[in-house]
Amino acid sequence: MKLKLSFEVLGLIALGVVIAVLPRFVSSFTAYELATVGMYFIALLGLSILTGYSGQISLGHGAFMAVGGYTTAVLTVNGVYGHHIRDIWTIPIAGIVAGLGGLLVGIPALRLSGLYLALVTFGIAVSFRQIPLKFDKFLGGTSGKLLGLLKTPFGLSATPNDWIYYLTWGIAFVLLVVAWLFVRGKPGRTLKAIRDSEIAATSSGISLARYKTLAFALSAFYAGVAGSLYAMARAYMNPDIFPVVLSVYLVAALALGGVDSFVGLILGAAAIYILQNRAGDVTGWINHLPHVNLNAQRPGMPDVIFGAVLIVVLILLPTGVGGALRRLFGPLTSRLYSKS
Amino acid sequence: MVRVLFLCVLAAAVVTTAAGARPLAAPGVTPTQITIGSSVPLSGEAAIAGNVARGIDAYFKYVNTKGGIFGRKLKFEYLDDGYDPGRAVNNTIRLVQQEQVFAMFSSLGTSNNLAVRKLLNDAKVPQLFVSSGATTFGRDYKQYPWTIGFIPPYSEEGAIYGQYIVKHVKKPRIAVLYQNDDYGRDLYGGLRRGLGKKAGAIVAKVAYDPSSADVQPQVTQLKASKANVFMIFAFGKFSLQAFNAVSRLGWHPQIFVNDVSAASALMAIVPQNAANGSISIVFGKDPAAPAWRRDKGVRLFQSILRQYGTDIQARDLQDGYYTAGMATAYTLVDALKKAGRNLTRDGVMRAATHLTEKGNPFVLPGIVIRTTPTSRFPVTQVKLQRWSAKAWHPFGKLLSLKPR
Repeated sequence: MKLKLSFEVLGLIALGVVIAVLPRFVSSFTAYELATVGMYFIALLGLSILTGYSGQISLGHGAFMAVGGYTTAVLTVNGVYGHHIRDIWTIPIAGIVAGLGGLLVGIPALRLSGLYLALVTFGIAVSFRQIPLKFDKFLGGTSGKLLGLLKTPFGLSATPNDWIYYLTWGIAFVLLVVAWLFVRGKPGRTLKAIRDSEIAATSSGISLARYKTLAFALSAFYAGVAGSLYAMARAYMNPDIFPVVLSVYLVAALALGGVDSFVGLILGAAAIYILQNRAGDVTGWINHLPHVNLNAQRPGMPDVIFGAVLIVVLILLPTGVGGALRRLFGPLTSRLYSKS
Repeated sequence: MVRVLFLCVLAAAVVTTAAGARPLAAPGVTPTQITIGSSVPLSGEAAIAGNVARGIDAYFKYVNTKGGIFGRKLKFEYLDDGYDPGRAVNNTIRLVQQEQVFAMFSSLGTSNNLAVRKLLNDAKVPQLFVSSGATTFGRDYKQYPWTIGFIPPYSEEGAIYGQYIVKHVKKPRIAVLYQNDDYGRDLYGGLRRGLGKKAGAIVAKVAYDPSSADVQPQVTQLKASKANVFMIFAFGKFSLQAFNAVSRLGWHPQIFVNDVSAASALMAIVPQNAANGSISIVFGKDPAAPAWRRDKGVRLFQSILRQYGTDIQARDLQDGYYTAGMATAYTLVDALKKAGRNLTRDGVMRAATHLTEKGNPFVLPGIVIRTTPTSRFPVTQVKLQRWSAKAWHPFGKLLSLKPR
């Protein structure tokens, strides 16, 4: 067991090193793209705690990201009593506001499970966009809110793109460690027990209500942080920044990466980014296959490709990329464990 | 020792002057190519307006076969934003940072251009001839020196309709449908100004959100006001829906439809009992209008589109969005030529704000596209037109706008 722990710690350190040196090898714009991947990764981490560990499905996490984005937009643009707040300090606030939102949703969610919970959360994702439209004076309506442009603070010499990269992945790394500590200890075991059988968990003296709402709030906190970073990076916030379909993408990416594999989620996050913004390139790769000639300019093509990739991955790797990795390295590492 | 030092200084001086004399290459400009970027709706409710970009693309290819601009070929990178400002931001960041475009050009939509204006001005990337008539793009040059509009400002368009109503409509009772953003509000504000003392004739106004599904409920509400004049300040599919609703409700008001939604291609597919008699303004040559059937400019447009367009069908040759794209592209090519052989972003902004372009073949005869550093409204002359027998018919003389 100790050996497994040290493997995981080593893995985390290796990930940290890769994150730290990567910008040296890629262009400034790629760093910006990777930062966006990091934002989706943060949201997926939260979703993984909720779905992968506590077994509650949310199709409304795009809305929690939007809550985070709007919190940052309002605090930096309108300020509080005219006192503008610097964008990076709004990140934790955005997380907390979204977390409170998660708590609010988590309480009624106690009475629902499975498909019904998924539907209710999807309803939240669909109806959320009406809020900024209703309060358009305050939240900007469809025209949106313009934030200050991304600037490197504290006299650091990094370019804004490198800055948002380090900021995002720095936060992602911390939140990854937090999530890891959370799920490998007692809370993680408790959530897994709830996921596997609520009746068994209750009879072992676990408070279902406390842990299920906690999981909801924590995962919404993650989504809020991700949304805040996203709005900062775009310097713009409107209801379409986090469209309804993003909530679906997040769940799909979770399945793609493996519901309870944190490292697999990086791939899931990359998939969301690529299929939303680089569908043209993906179409180009697919066109290399014989007898395939797709037109990337066709509307809806990204969704078709995303759907196709998802189906193929889930047929070939039913436990997602993370599960496949585990199956690949599992025999190797378990042999090491048994020797120790 | 002194001599060595002197030689060193001399060498350094030569090197620095030589470096200074060498033209500094602007991003997106190579000896053989100029890359221009744009973000337009190719999908979604405003997808029909994406033909503006396709028209531009065809015109650039035509210019390229004529030798390009000082030997440089134009490359046009346009990305789909689905008329969503959020995606326009993503596209613009990608075009500027990754594709390294020389300038953004003719991106479409008011909110979409507002969302990226600060970003582009901060990076000193020209935001040229935006496809939006919101007055702010021509007016707020002090704050945003890298931005310039193109089409007649919406507020002036609204004012023209107001003045027309005062003169020609007896006992007007006006109902207004407008998009809830700067585009709709500019038109509405202009209308009020044009009506002057008669602004009280506006008996009902309803805004819709550009992300709504249908505007029929709004039109029903407006009809209940018993108005006899109906202003359609709506875009794309919403304009279509408004005409459909008018027809379905059996309402017979005098309709005014704003220029950007008045393409013949759109008007031809709405119920004609509602469309007939509608009034709009026009500044470009409408390839579907009988008045221009034999016109040289329209013939040139059709031959360019047939030869250089992609997937062109017969109805595209009648589509005013393509001509609008070519009209803007013509002016851009003019500005790029004026900016000279040593192309810089500063240079193209200077050229774009010192235009006196007389013979743009794709706009109405007599229109002069004129800009100065303090007047950044390239098109300020328009005509009124009326829809009948499935076509627009221009009438009256050329009207001059004085944007403020």
